[in-house]
Amino acid sequence: MVEKITSNKSKPNWYQKLPMKRRETLVSYLFLLPCLFFFVVFVVIPILMGVFTSFFNYTSSSFEFNGLDNYIRLFQDQAFLRSLKNTIVLVVVAVPITVIFALFVGYVLYNRKSFTRSLFRGIFYLPVVTGTVAVTVVWAWMFDQYNGVLNWVLMNMGVIQQEIAWLGDERFALMAIIIILITTSVGQPIILYIAALGNLDTAQIEASKIDGATEWQVFRHITWPGILPTTLYVVMITTINTFQCFSLVQLLTSGAPDYHSSTIMYLVYEMAFTFKQFGYANAMGVILAVIIGIFSIVQYKAFSSKG
Amino acid sequence: MKKVICLLLVCVLVIGAFAGCGPKAPEKVEITWWAFPVFATVDGVSGKYEKELAQKFMDENEGIQVNVEIIDFANGPNKIVTAIEGGTAPNVVFDAPGRVIEWGKAGHLVSVDDMVKDSGLAADITNENVLAACGDGTNYWMYPSSAAPFTMAVSKTALEEAGMLDRINMEGDRAWTTEEFVSLSKDMAAKGYKGFEMFAKSQGGDQGTRAFVPALTGAHLTDSEVSKYTMDTAEGIAAFELIEKGMKEGWLTPSIASDGGMAIKNFVTPVNNTFWCTGLWSPNVAKGNADLMKEAGMEAIGLPFPSPEGTDTSLEYLVNGYAIFKNDDAAKVAASKEFVKFLADDEVIGKETVKATNCFPVRKSFGNLYAGNADMEFYASLSEYYMPYYNTIDGYSDMRPLWYGTLQKIITGEMTGEEAAKYYNTEANKTIK
Repeated sequence: MVEKITSNKSKPNWYQKLPMKRRETLVSYLFLLPCLFFFVVFVVIPILMGVFTSFFNYTSSSFEFNGLDNYIRLFQDQAFLRSLKNTIVLVVVAVPITVIFALFVGYVLYNRKSFTRSLFRGIFYLPVVTGTVAVTVVWAWMFDQYNGVLNWVLMNMGVIQQEIAWLGDERFALMAIIIILITTSVGQPIILYIAALGNLDTAQIEASKIDGATEWQVFRHITWPGILPTTLYVVMITTINTFQCFSLVQLLTSGAPDYHSSTIMYLVYEMAFTFKQFGYANAMGVILAVIIGIFSIVQYKAFSSKG
Repeated sequence: MKKVICLLLVCVLVIGAFAGCGPKAPEKVEITWWAFPVFATVDGVSGKYEKELAQKFMDENEGIQVNVEIIDFANGPNKIVTAIEGGTAPNVVFDAPGRVIEWGKAGHLVSVDDMVKDSGLAADITNENVLAACGDGTNYWMYPSSAAPFTMAVSKTALEEAGMLDRINMEGDRAWTTEEFVSLSKDMAAKGYKGFEMFAKSQGGDQGTRAFVPALTGAHLTDSEVSKYTMDTAEGIAAFELIEKGMKEGWLTPSIASDGGMAIKNFVTPVNNTFWCTGLWSPNVAKGNADLMKEAGMEAIGLPFPSPEGTDTSLEYLVNGYAIFKNDDAAKVAASKEFVKFLADDEVIGKETVKATNCFPVRKSFGNLYAGNADMEFYASLSEYYMPYYNTIDGYSDMRPLWYGTLQKIITGEMTGEEAAKYYNTEANKTIK
């Protein structure tokens, strides 16, 4: 036995010959391998295929290289430009409202009694767990021009004289989508903010109050820096989700009227599966990814460097 | 102990390896059938009837397993496109020629020429246009089962309430003029009823408005050879101008947020408003909504679309049939053809499936399945008004978004009727490749 151990020590195998650091790295990569496989197959390769085919006239019956034609066409396409504008409006309006509202609710609730906190967390989280389709069906019924409860109430109160096509009028359709989007988006940020605020150092807050800090000063100099990482996460995730708003548009308006409520994600879907122009749809997807990337970098810089 | 465990593992491996060598039951040929919800439901459950049909077929054909999936009209077409591109298309689909011919031309389908020939369908067909609609002139891509006209309908209940039921022609083919329709629409609007809903949300039911608009002025959507769109003629422009006027004056109801399905729902289940007519009706829509209408206490009367004095109306018609996707598996194709023959040609099941659609059989030999039913006799009489079947025109599916997009432009005021007619016609002609 002693001999065997001695012989093993004298003849280290290739793995044992590696420096400790290398060995750890190798083991780490081996642990990562299963995940990496799925990531490459289901994320990296489809992305590369999407970018590749965006340079082709790829339809159900043809696949021809057309260089930058798809990208040039994008910026001459009224439907794309409208969808791009709507998507940006959606992000610019819905994301700040969602974040500010979630922060407000979180701030009000985080030091309440456990029952109250859980009750409101449940209420605000309900639309998230209910599922987009179910929520949308109810909203669609409420917004229905001829049989909806909203027009019925407003007409009976004398606020409006004529039914409003909430989902068919370019003045209201996008606004209706924003309202629903906000209700389905605030749940998770509220949960995250309540958790983040609950983890703040109460001793620091109490000490600052004893030193005469006002409520605003406490928020500005202690609370806000403390929840900044959560805010960064909330802002980035909400922005990305808003950029990818699709199901609400598809279920409620199908982009009507005349693409006034369409988003880029919806247009990608329509272009691919209604018009079967897969290459052109992929070019839109690439542009959307670039825009999301730029927004994310700006947000990361804005929320991670300064307190 | 280790040796025992090792021995056990080896035994398991060996037994497992040889397990497949014994006599095996012959494998079943498994096919998938995707169907739009055209058949009347059993117990109000969508898909139950289709599953019963599949089970009956499997009872008679033990070597074939049929999996059934119901797809809806709103998302089903896109689901099929996704499946085709992903190589997971179903084996059999129950649909209409518009989409089917396009798939056939793109090389995704198996030709059913042999089925048409072997079954003697050409000699037995009730209307040659119906069979022609199932092919592209070279091959047949769809095996037809039943057909029926698309019409409009009025609410007998609303008209009775308003004291205007006598304004409807209930004789013969119930034809009426555009002048009569406009006059009645204005009078019903004055009494607070909502008029013909110009639904324009999506392609769901778009055939209704696409038949209604040209019929109003005697225009034609395409030329008689179905080689180009012709809505930029004087009649076509007049038609778009008339609907623009109707919506502005309130006797037509603009509705960007509704598709055909929602328009039917608004018509058969009045809640806050009562629509006195709808532009998307057919015998099978009437049957499919019979329970809802009974519950809502309303009765509908099917009518042809109005047309100018001295001209005949033009009607689109529905053809139901089966298409078989290519999947490089001869056994599956053969099984699919057997299944389609069972559904469409079987002496008992064939007639039963036709009746389940509440449409008319495409085979003369099936006879009159609705003897004594005055309503069905009326719908049958409309076959003389069938317009050229343009659903098989190249680029048809690309034209459809243009149609409802154009209606949206008129409703929002982005275009006048004349501009819309010219825009639609130019863009629609570009889709013909």
